[in-house]
Amino acid sequence: MSRVITITSGKGGVGKTTSTANLGTALAMQGAKVAVVDADIGLRNLDVVMGLENRIVYDLVDVVEGRCRLRQALIKDKHFSDLYLLPAAQTRDKDAVGPDDMIALANQLRTEFDYVIIDSPAGIEGGFRNAIAGADEVLIITTPEVSAVRDADRIIGLVEAAEKGSPQLIINRIKPRMVNRGDMMSTEDVLQILAIDLIGAIPDDETIVTSTNRGEVAVLDRTSRAGRAFSDVARRIAGEQVPMPTLEDEQGVFDRLFGMLARRPRGSER
Amino acid sequence: MGVLDGLFRRRDRSSDIARERLLTVLVHDRVKLTPELLEQLKEELSAVIARYVPTVDPATIEVTLLRGELSDHLKAEFPLRRQR
Repeated sequence: MSRVITITSGKGGVGKTTSTANLGTALAMQGAKVAVVDADIGLRNLDVVMGLENRIVYDLVDVVEGRCRLRQALIKDKHFSDLYLLPAAQTRDKDAVGPDDMIALANQLRTEFDYVIIDSPAGIEGGFRNAIAGADEVLIITTPEVSAVRDADRIIGLVEAAEKGSPQLIINRIKPRMVNRGDMMSTEDVLQILAIDLIGAIPDDETIVTSTNRGEVAVLDRTSRAGRAFSDVARRIAGEQVPMPTLEDEQGVFDRLFGMLARRPRGSER
Repeated sequence: MGVLDGLFRRRDRSSDIARERLLTVLVHDRVKLTPELLEQLKEELSAVIARYVPTVDPATIEVTLLRGELSDHLKAEFPLRRQR
């Protein structure tokens, strides 16, 4: 049975598009048929992250408005023959499609793919509502920052109000050293505040920048820690039991020792 | 406090500050009580209280949202003008 999964965040710039590209690719690597959909109408981005920007002929709005068939707009990935991108329109405004269009589109994609992964625009307005309209499940991306977590809390309420069930959380760009020395909220801190299930904790990793520069995705790079973490998320999505490694485990002894010392409890606390 | 504590202790763990600020902001967000609504609430409360207790000074009323261990609550304070 196919699943339509929307990736959203509230706040912009926390890694929705990167997550969509990596999770879509990772699911295709596992052998699934996957369509990734860029629902950010007017601000097309998923194509460049996946390195497919030169192959676009038609886009999502062309499909919705009947100027082409769905198959014509789907772009085959460079690496996986069962991975396709449905790009956003770049020149149209975000009101070109509505929730009903998105539901119809999702249902059409369902008949051909195991997974349909929808990249939502930032915000809580129409674009976001379109992006979740056709979804069976919602994944929320946040970073361990006050503003991103606050927006995630707001989005969780909206997703639950839209009767999409309880969304699952990906915490992105965690810097273990900063967490260890008490200068970044930990995975546990964020989970305690948002009170939803965690499906992935992604370390901050420069390979995301370098792979995106090249139009490649990090899950294809076996040396990328973020890539490995995204692969783990994809396996969890597919129903595998994958342990959630504490990010500190990947650090050197010195870091850990320093982290422990810096974490000594203060006398005044608790 | 031991020497080690002094050496390695950080004055403020900024993650703790982030957590506290976030929790406070979320209490307000989740209750959906905007500053304007809070102001309106104060005015209406002061009108009601003044009918029963004329010595309440409307300018000194304070209504605050508090985060508690078990539940959050709304606290209102109505200082009275000193009477002879």
